[in-house]
Amino acid sequence: MAVSDIAASDIVETVPSALIVLDRNLNITSANRAFYQTFRTSADETEGCHIYDLGNRQWDIPSLRTLLESVIPHRASVEGFEVEHDFPTIGRRTMLVNARKIFRPGDHDGSILLAIEDVSEERAARVESKRYWQLIQSIVDTIRDPLVVLEDDMTIVTASKAFLTIFGITQAETHGRRVAELGQHQWDVPALRHLMEKVLPENKPIESFEIEDNFPGLGRRVFNLNARKISQPGNHAHRMLLVFEDITDRKQRERDAVSLTNEISHRIKNNLQIVVGLIAYEAKWTAAPCVQGYKAMQARIGAIAELYDLISQSSRGQTVAVDAYLREIAKAMSASLIGNMSGVEIEVKAEPLEIDPDRAVPFGLLVNELATNAIKHAFPQGTGHVTLSVEKVGDQIELIVADDGVGMKDKDSAKVPEKRGSDYVAIFVRQLGGTIAPSVSEGTGTIVRIRLPLLLVPPGSAERVAA
Amino acid sequence: MAVILVVEDDVFIRQVAEMMIQDWGHDILSASDAEEALIFLRSAQHIDALFTDIYLKHSVLGGCELAHQAIELRPKLRVLYTTGNVVTDKMKALFVEGTECLRKPYTQHQLEDCVAALLAA
Repeated sequence: MAVSDIAASDIVETVPSALIVLDRNLNITSANRAFYQTFRTSADETEGCHIYDLGNRQWDIPSLRTLLESVIPHRASVEGFEVEHDFPTIGRRTMLVNARKIFRPGDHDGSILLAIEDVSEERAARVESKRYWQLIQSIVDTIRDPLVVLEDDMTIVTASKAFLTIFGITQAETHGRRVAELGQHQWDVPALRHLMEKVLPENKPIESFEIEDNFPGLGRRVFNLNARKISQPGNHAHRMLLVFEDITDRKQRERDAVSLTNEISHRIKNNLQIVVGLIAYEAKWTAAPCVQGYKAMQARIGAIAELYDLISQSSRGQTVAVDAYLREIAKAMSASLIGNMSGVEIEVKAEPLEIDPDRAVPFGLLVNELATNAIKHAFPQGTGHVTLSVEKVGDQIELIVADDGVGMKDKDSAKVPEKRGSDYVAIFVRQLGGTIAPSVSEGTGTIVRIRLPLLLVPPGSAERVAA
Repeated sequence: MAVILVVEDDVFIRQVAEMMIQDWGHDILSASDAEEALIFLRSAQHIDALFTDIYLKHSVLGGCELAHQAIELRPKLRVLYTTGNVVTDKMKALFVEGTECLRKPYTQHQLEDCVAALLAA
């Protein structure tokens, strides 16, 4: 069946909008099924009745009178005319009325077709939404950090009082403008724009995006920007909350701390350089057989200095991250492998454990000693792997230094430097309150296992600061 | 043998470095800060290389600034830095291109290797 075969009456009966046809005197000539259902009436009660008399004059509504008596006579059609009324039968309703004059051949007076759509629920949702955003605005105004609410086209809907006060602008100056256009375009940063474009479509919040710039009236400031998608349950309108946290003072404290750390590091290293220099001076006048010992002493002082740098790089506030620390040690040792030892690879397998900074130096020296021994003695061919691992075993941590080298069976254990090295290992283990398991060697390598008490601060009691 | 300008504000560290360098047969010019170093660099004195500490007295990156001034005065001058601080990427960005930094504390052998590489470049 073609569309042209469908009778107009079929269409009228199936459309969801309530339809009524009035003659020039505003008497109802017909209505459709949707009208009867919506207003709980029937064809008998309706047809031939004057519109205002229908249902105990419940349609005698001033706004409808205005439409029918003042607007329709002068216009061929009216769309979206809103009528809000308390209907005795169905309660308070908001109706959207579309009206059109219809002229049939021979009918000069014409009829009026009214299409009535019940938009009460939509209007109620709109009112609820408005109340919701008003609530947000009142919350927004109580927050001390400046913030703005943005539409999905990135224009500003509203700005908090704190935002207006700090940046010295009015609500009117912000409304409808993009954040990038504000002030002297301090927020016009491509990386920020890119992140902001993902907040609504991908529901991807912005966490701590830092911007440092000169702001008129404020001077040089550092702001941390955070953004979130906000939406009302049941409503498809989404907006973005963009919060500006002034972290200038915190940044300054961090910079002061870094500057102080650098100053202390500079002094410590200079003092260690003096010690190394003294040793160098002594070594100059020392008999050749003793020079090796002086050199070993200088190398260990160098290792301590290096550990200070690594500790500062692995530091998380009050504690040092063992995993990051081991990786830094491995990286530094790998970088120092030269010549025929450059084929040795150092690998780290470590659980995320923490160590207090006081024990970090002996722990690092212990790892340094064991790994140096492995590198020096396990690989006569100059190639192989050394694995440094740390894991939690009960209330202890186990440090394992393993290599896949030649093992210890061919080793001459009477050699003096190795003896001294193992003395140092024993000293560091004792200092850390641990125990050393006998080295295991099966010809395919050597494994040294050391159990240390969980020297580390119990979880949760340490002040953890994100790196 | 080469002439090396050593710039270091700590007298003892500077003298030990000079002693080490002289042991390998090189000649030394000695300065405790950038101003003293620039007097040598602006003079007619022959200089092969500059070995400078980065933190000079009150200037945190004084050695970096000195090296750039030195290269402007003598484009072919070789430069080696030393520092007790962590060498950050920000610091590296201030280095004269193609230069190295020897971290403190350094031994005479580490300094010898660096000076040999510097003079061979």
